[in-house]
Amino acid sequence: MILEVKDVSKVFTVERGFFKQKAQAVRALDAVSFRLEQFRTLGIVGESGSGKTTLAKIILRLVSPTQGAVAFDPARITDFRKDVQIIFQNPYNSLNAKMRILDIIAEPLRIHRLVPRKGLKEKVAALLSMVGLDRASMARYPAEFSGGQRQRICIARALATQPKFIVLDEPISSLDLTIQAQMLDLFMRLKEECRLTYIFISHNLAVVKHIADSVIVMRDGRIVEACDTQAIFTSPQNDYTRLLLEAARG
Amino acid sequence: MKKNNALAIGITIIAFFGLVAIFAGMCAPYEPSAIDQNNLLMPPSLHHPLGTDSLGRDLLSRMIYGARISLAVGIIAVGIATLLGVFLGCVAGFYGGMIDAFIMRLVDIILCFPTLFLILAVVAILEPSIFNIMVIIGLTGWMGTARLVRSEILSLKEREFVQAARAIGASNARIILRHLLPHAMGPVLVSATLGIGSAILLESGLSFLGLGVQPPVPSWGNILIEAKSTLGIAWWITVFPGLAILVTILGFNLISEGLKKEIG
Amino acid sequence: MGHLIEVNDLRVSFGATPAVDGISFQIRENEVLVLAGESGSGKTVTALALTRILPASARIVSGSVTFRGQDLLALKEEGLAQTRGRDIAYIFQEPASFLNPVFTIGSQIMEAIILHQARTKQDARKEALALLGLVQIKEPERVFASYPHQLSGGMNQRVFTAMSLACRPKLLIADEPTTALDVTVESQIVKLLMDLKKTLGFSMLFITHNLALAKKIADRVCVMYRGKIVEEAGMPALFARPQHFHTKELIAAYEKIGKL
Repeated sequence: MILEVKDVSKVFTVERGFFKQKAQAVRALDAVSFRLEQFRTLGIVGESGSGKTTLAKIILRLVSPTQGAVAFDPARITDFRKDVQIIFQNPYNSLNAKMRILDIIAEPLRIHRLVPRKGLKEKVAALLSMVGLDRASMARYPAEFSGGQRQRICIARALATQPKFIVLDEPISSLDLTIQAQMLDLFMRLKEECRLTYIFISHNLAVVKHIADSVIVMRDGRIVEACDTQAIFTSPQNDYTRLLLEAARG
Repeated sequence: MKKNNALAIGITIIAFFGLVAIFAGMCAPYEPSAIDQNNLLMPPSLHHPLGTDSLGRDLLSRMIYGARISLAVGIIAVGIATLLGVFLGCVAGFYGGMIDAFIMRLVDIILCFPTLFLILAVVAILEPSIFNIMVIIGLTGWMGTARLVRSEILSLKEREFVQAARAIGASNARIILRHLLPHAMGPVLVSATLGIGSAILLESGLSFLGLGVQPPVPSWGNILIEAKSTLGIAWWITVFPGLAILVTILGFNLISEGLKKEIG
Repeated sequence: MGHLIEVNDLRVSFGATPAVDGISFQIRENEVLVLAGESGSGKTVTALALTRILPASARIVSGSVTFRGQDLLALKEEGLAQTRGRDIAYIFQEPASFLNPVFTIGSQIMEAIILHQARTKQDARKEALALLGLVQIKEPERVFASYPHQLSGGMNQRVFTAMSLACRPKLLIADEPTTALDVTVESQIVKLLMDLKKTLGFSMLFITHNLALAKKIADRVCVMYRGKIVEEAGMPALFARPQHFHTKELIAAYEKIGKL
């Protein structure tokens, strides 16, 4: 087991009015628990407002939970910011437009002092080729790339620290369908090459079916169903899961 | 890219004054404080292209050396103001909460002071000197920049690329310096160039009142002190320094306008 | 007769870059034509060019759009404004960004009605509520009094559809109307559009990058690629015998992740 999420809840308070008087509580996550084995892929499925992105941010320690705990296996995850990475949904917003690709991908290497300065360019070139981009991309800026290419750059940056665990938060849903299919292949290849564990968040059941070993279905901050990928498509237990399947089948 | 006339003209003007100021020793035909009893209040002529003042000093030479002082005061004062404004704006915008509230109330309070009178009071207590003038103009001019930077940082810090930076382990300082500030620098640059113009104007005003740069060191403002008493008989002493101030400020405003267009 | 709209050799470019590169297609009465293509293929530009609501940087280079015997591209702006909204209506991907946040839903629908039909306010109000009922909103009175931000994405898309249908257009142009929505909501909206088409009898130009949707609703599909229509086929035929390599790519992606 590499990750255990135990009884995690998150309440956001929304302040209203001039004197911020009416504090309104929004329960984004409600007692979410699950475990994940190393080298497996967990799919998290849910619609907007289901709390799946909040969960991703809590796992990444970008947001702190109101209750509960997220525990990584200390034997496997030694340096958190190095070993655990995230890919966001929108590749247009997750790259700093003012930085060259070289600096974007080299940033984690510099922060964690992973590569001597002389070897930086070579390492970045190697990372770029891992995600299927050429060396010349280094000198360019994010605006010169398409959505799919930008997402590849994000992946190269995430891989720079040789992570063991990556959370993919709707990593392909803003892309064209043919690009989505390519990216999905890339994720599966990298998982083997780099011996990764994934959490793959998506609203698209077909995508999850392809990549995940087990699936969690979320609605309104709760887990409504959790089981093996096969089982969820052949014998869904929950009504909401059935509704999702039905919508996807058309 | 479209031609940016405002920027080109502005840079030309300021580059001209800048070069003249830097190479004042080579450009000026006379020593700026060389008194010539035989040529008092001479109108513009071949020997003295811009005329002389009541002590017979060459006006052109005084203005060339004055450019040095005026531009230096403008640029350094705004430099101080910008550094301070960027720093406080970043801190307020990034950390939020009590720190933000404190800095922003400080901004409100200082904005409530009539700046000119504050400066007058301070200068009256301290010695009026070039250094003091620079510092005091700088210390009273950072609030706009702070507000600007704060609002930029506020809108940027929730963006995904900032979270992405945090996820790869970037420190707060790194996030501010590498990821947030570069996006805020455009508007800061625009307001800073605009600020240089007003700082020069403020320096001229203070010097004119005798509270700025002290004679015999020439600045555009204190040349005008003398112009006051000789306006009727020696128009050139009023017109040329006035024109220099006007054109310089225009130059900075054009650069500012041009930069704004360039940034989009 | 038969053809409601006929597009001939349409070319649109941004500066020197062609976005739409000589395309022709027709839509019959009561037909659903799907324009399928990926981002950058020129499908949205095509949709906007039909009634000349392109961004300022785009230029229509050549071509004609014949709508009921009139060339829309040759028409003066005032004449075109008559057609826009009344005969040809649009729905877009992000309905909320096309609704004005400071006015209630009701007042915005009423505006659309009054603009084209010169009715009294009471009349328009009645009509607006009827339209909200038409798009299968359960509590029309409540939605009428709401502001766009108080409603969900799916609800806003229903409202926007109601507004578009205010003048009973002959052609509805739907530009990725469900792309921003959740899957369960998407299937509701698609069903709604097909129901409305049946009851009101309009033609539809439906733009999407997802062949799964095309499969559900299309009578015919035009596949766009780099500004050109590379394949045109009736619905079952497209999947059974794709010709162009890009169509094959799209179908492969659909087979892999577009369907369960």
